[in-house]
Amino acid sequence: MESAKTEDEKLQMFFDGELAPEEEAAVRRSLEGSPEGAAQLREWEQLRLAMKRVATNWAGEVDSDALFARIEDEIGDEIVPVEQPKSEPPALRVVPGGRERRVWGGVATGFAAAAAILLAVIAWPERQLDPAPVTRGSEVLEADFGSNTGTIFEVEGGAGESLAVVWIDDEEVGLP
Amino acid sequence: MSLIRHLLVIAILFGASVASAQGSSLARSDRTSTVSSVPAEVLVILAKEEAGTIDPQLAKMTALRRPPFNSFRSMKILSRPKLTLKPGKDALVSLPNGRRMKLTLLRVMPDGRYKVKAAINRPDKSDYLPLLQVVASAGDPFFVAGQTYQGGTLVVGVIVDPKKTAR
Repeated sequence: MESAKTEDEKLQMFFDGELAPEEEAAVRRSLEGSPEGAAQLREWEQLRLAMKRVATNWAGEVDSDALFARIEDEIGDEIVPVEQPKSEPPALRVVPGGRERRVWGGVATGFAAAAAILLAVIAWPERQLDPAPVTRGSEVLEADFGSNTGTIFEVEGGAGESLAVVWIDDEEVGLP
Repeated sequence: MSLIRHLLVIAILFGASVASAQGSSLARSDRTSTVSSVPAEVLVILAKEEAGTIDPQLAKMTALRRPPFNSFRSMKILSRPKLTLKPGKDALVSLPNGRRMKLTLLRVMPDGRYKVKAAINRPDKSDYLPLLQVVASAGDPFFVAGQTYQGGTLVVGVIVDPKKTAR
């Protein structure tokens, strides 16, 4: 296993041209000793030549000095503050659970309003059911004159209230 | 407002509602069932058509100067007993002609007026005024008149809770 790795590493270093001349010559001889190795060696040689050609063409097209100078210039420029986008109102922010919280808040407000209305409704009739200043005076609900005759009057009091007067004949009564 | 504050407001308002409801019902029940007693005053007046004087204590009772009382030219207070009316309990007032007036507080109405039962008869008799039921607000009298006495006419005024006349 270790020897295989070593062989692979040697082949990789051979392909990259990083082996010492003695080692490179030994690897080359080993590869040229078999038809498969010779074919692999030719393939690698072609691939290496192609890569060198492409690298040479790309290096010729790119002006590395100009590119480096441009980078230096932009680094030295004055820093321009970037305008931050206006933040959204909190109510429109997408916050997990926020919608549910607003719903609860609405429900709670509704209950609070209902409770306030209930309070007003309960308290209001108490004041309405106690119209003491209006129901002044007196009135007859029922009168039984027995064997006598009588009359029920209403007479106005000092405050305009109606006062009940029951007038009963006294003729048939034999007083002691 | 946070959810906790909302819930707190709900709790406070609900508690206030319940307290108010209980207070209202208690106030009503107090009036209708838990009134222990109420003071009353009976004015026994001898009124005559003959010229005379009107008792100064009656000066404020302007009703006694209006029909059917305006034919009387003199009025004298014979007695002015004060009594306490208790629900369901009879209170008796002796009249100068030998009859007795029986007063019974039946209940206090939801509007605060008093429902009172009255009867005027000789002892063990029921031949004059067997039954009279009246509702009267505090301090406002009702009158029973017509009995003849000493050449005049008895006018009996009943005032329930007379101290509340200043409402």
